[in-house]
Amino acid sequence: MRIRPPVPIGHCLIGLLALCVLPFHASAGPKDDTLVVALSKPLTTVDRLYSIQREGLILSRLTDDGLFFVDPDTLEFVPLAASSYEWVSDTELDVTVRDDVVFHDGSSLTAEDVVYTFEWVINEDSDTSRGPVIRSWLESVEKLAPGKVRFNLKLPYPMALRDMAISIPLRKQGTYDEAGDETDEQPLNGIGPYKVTAFSAGREIVLERFEDYYQASPKANPAIENMVFRVIPDQGTQQAELLSGGIDIMMDVPPDVADNVSHLPGVKRLEGNDIRIGYITLDAAGYVDPDSPFTKLKVRKAINHAINREEITKYLMRGSAEVVHFACHPRQFGCNADGPRYPYSPEKAKQLLAEAGYPDGFSFKLWAYREKIIAEAVVSNLKAIGLDVDLRFVKLNVFSKVRNSKDMQAFFASYGSGGTADASASTGVHFAANSARNYSGDEALADTVIAAEQTIDADQRKRLYRQALNRIAEQAYWAPMFSYSQNFLLTPELEFSVPKDGVPRFWQASWRQ
Amino acid sequence: MLNYVLRRGFMALLVALTVSFGTFALFHFATDPAQTIAGEDAPQEMVDEIREQYGFDRPVLVQYGDWLGGVLQGDFGRSYFWKQQVVELIQEHAKVTILLALSALMVTVVIALPLGISAALKPNSWVDRLALSTAVSAQAIPNFWLGLMFIILFAVTFPIFPVSGDATWKHYVLPSLVLGASSVPAVMRLTRTGLLDVLSSDYIRTARAKGFMGYRLILQQAMRNALLPIVSVLAVQLGHKLGGSVVTESVFSMNGLGRLAVESIFNSDIPTVQSLILIFVLTFVLLTLAADLINAWLDPRIRMG
Repeated sequence: MRIRPPVPIGHCLIGLLALCVLPFHASAGPKDDTLVVALSKPLTTVDRLYSIQREGLILSRLTDDGLFFVDPDTLEFVPLAASSYEWVSDTELDVTVRDDVVFHDGSSLTAEDVVYTFEWVINEDSDTSRGPVIRSWLESVEKLAPGKVRFNLKLPYPMALRDMAISIPLRKQGTYDEAGDETDEQPLNGIGPYKVTAFSAGREIVLERFEDYYQASPKANPAIENMVFRVIPDQGTQQAELLSGGIDIMMDVPPDVADNVSHLPGVKRLEGNDIRIGYITLDAAGYVDPDSPFTKLKVRKAINHAINREEITKYLMRGSAEVVHFACHPRQFGCNADGPRYPYSPEKAKQLLAEAGYPDGFSFKLWAYREKIIAEAVVSNLKAIGLDVDLRFVKLNVFSKVRNSKDMQAFFASYGSGGTADASASTGVHFAANSARNYSGDEALADTVIAAEQTIDADQRKRLYRQALNRIAEQAYWAPMFSYSQNFLLTPELEFSVPKDGVPRFWQASWRQ
Repeated sequence: MLNYVLRRGFMALLVALTVSFGTFALFHFATDPAQTIAGEDAPQEMVDEIREQYGFDRPVLVQYGDWLGGVLQGDFGRSYFWKQQVVELIQEHAKVTILLALSALMVTVVIALPLGISAALKPNSWVDRLALSTAVSAQAIPNFWLGLMFIILFAVTFPIFPVSGDATWKHYVLPSLVLGASSVPAVMRLTRTGLLDVLSSDYIRTARAKGFMGYRLILQQAMRNALLPIVSVLAVQLGHKLGGSVVTESVFSMNGLGRLAVESIFNSDIPTVQSLILIFVLTFVLLTLAADLINAWLDPRIRMG
């Protein structure tokens, strides 16, 4: 039977194709001076005070300034919106505010704004993301004179400058007075070199260069006029966008993807060592089982000897990853331990297991939530010395639940220190007495860590951190493994430098001439 | 008929509540929402404060009761992750998903009906085999793979369509093809079988005798009856599209309900996940119910039995 369609389908198809072949204009690249950056995770707010996401930190370095900032070369905390500062005593910090800083709405930054910002943050009702941390050390803020404020600390806390640099962008007095709970709906009024012109949660953030930005700032005169942060969760889609010119740069690219895609035309690869470290924590305190083999020092040492850090780093982490021997990144202040290291030696590991009373090994679960290939390599190393390891690879939210319940015998995890080049970032979170990540049960170590956190004198802090890090190594509470390699894929037209602390600074980006 | 509707409606509500509570309980037993909200690297003080602030330290049943009580009063709560009212979030994202689902359904119809009709008109011929092979291939290919292949072909190699996003109609073409392809086999087979049955019936013989031929016979006489079961299947398929566009939306970076669900799950955003699950379940159950009712209306044996 012959069927004739009532409408000439061929005509419809030709019309549809004609519409489709009209070119689709992607707005990335030097032609319209717009840098398009792919974000893997959605940003829920452009206000750093209400964001804990790394993406929020990256964005806030463009839209906001704090009193201090992290010098991209030295990673030290230096004045930014502050012109100078002075520790009057261990618990009193005087800061002089610059007089040439203006907000995106054109108003000038004053001491009152600084006082307002910090009082808002330490106000429990403000629900700012870093409020609990800031409240733990900041008692009050007061204006001493025009352009001068004093921070009264509850205790000596040298990392106050870090918190001011990374977590507290300055806000205009009264910013949140009428906002109530809907702080995210207010237009952002920052003092950074870029201002937000459009924000759609989960889709994109559009920035425009702020022409009245203060010239004395090290971030002044950024080369690119417009920036767009597009949320593209899938790595494969990001690659396709990069190849088609829809985006200019991809961040956090896995090494194998970077290896493959960087060979394609129109793609450049940048890599550098990240401050993030990978490690294995062992239940030395015996939270899961008081008679657990991991409560025995020789067993923990055996685990450390069994892991082939060098080959895992070289062949699996690749790029700029480096072997790490202590519970910190070598670039961090205070990471100067000289305690024992555990070279790869399966024979020594087996001997230690036998001496600990486990000549035939034992069974346990190793938990992990990222880099499955690394976790599998570790399992393979541990099986080689006779241990029966059951790998439990789960999502991060499940992992956190089990870890915080102190229900893991051993876990592989990583820590980025929030980009902080100070050993306090790593040791405080993992070995303080109240930390859910602390599986050591070592109260003396916890005291040392807290003492270091509350010591202003730099040399004394270094001594305390050396003591703490050596103790961790001697007791083999961790099996530190490696620092990560960060990989970026970008268009060859873009000039960009790899950040030493893992937090990209797009205000430094420019187009190649 | 009324009894049948009430019985099915009650069952639908029961399914929705069971799934909803199961999800809620799983979330609390398997994850630590406070830690997830605070972030991977958050210090303990932050985690503890969030746990207290959001009431995660209360018994699970109490928390579920609170949430359900709010829902019954039209309050779906506030998203922990997006810091927005869940209702607003769902309204924002629903447009994309509805448009994508309807486009995908159109793709399914446009591909499956001609294939099914062709196969029915020439059963066991090479046309039939080709139609069947095409349909089976469409079902066998995973959505994410097909999506990536379409992107490579039609967005990178031949830049006809954009790679990702949902701003213009062009952004919907490739995702609709991907999402629509998976339903082609079911609709194609049903069309073929239904049309074969109808074509062998007495009234078609009569219509032919009256001079109905070609597309007039097929479209005006045969398809009217053959389409009835297809409509009920399409209703169910629409439910699949509305609740099952997660992968497609992720691959094409479309800001719809599917992607919202994935991101909310990864971020332990319980109010959003709960509300989405409830909506997905209710949508699916209601569309299935609608299909059942259509069938029952058409065939009295169903509602009697």
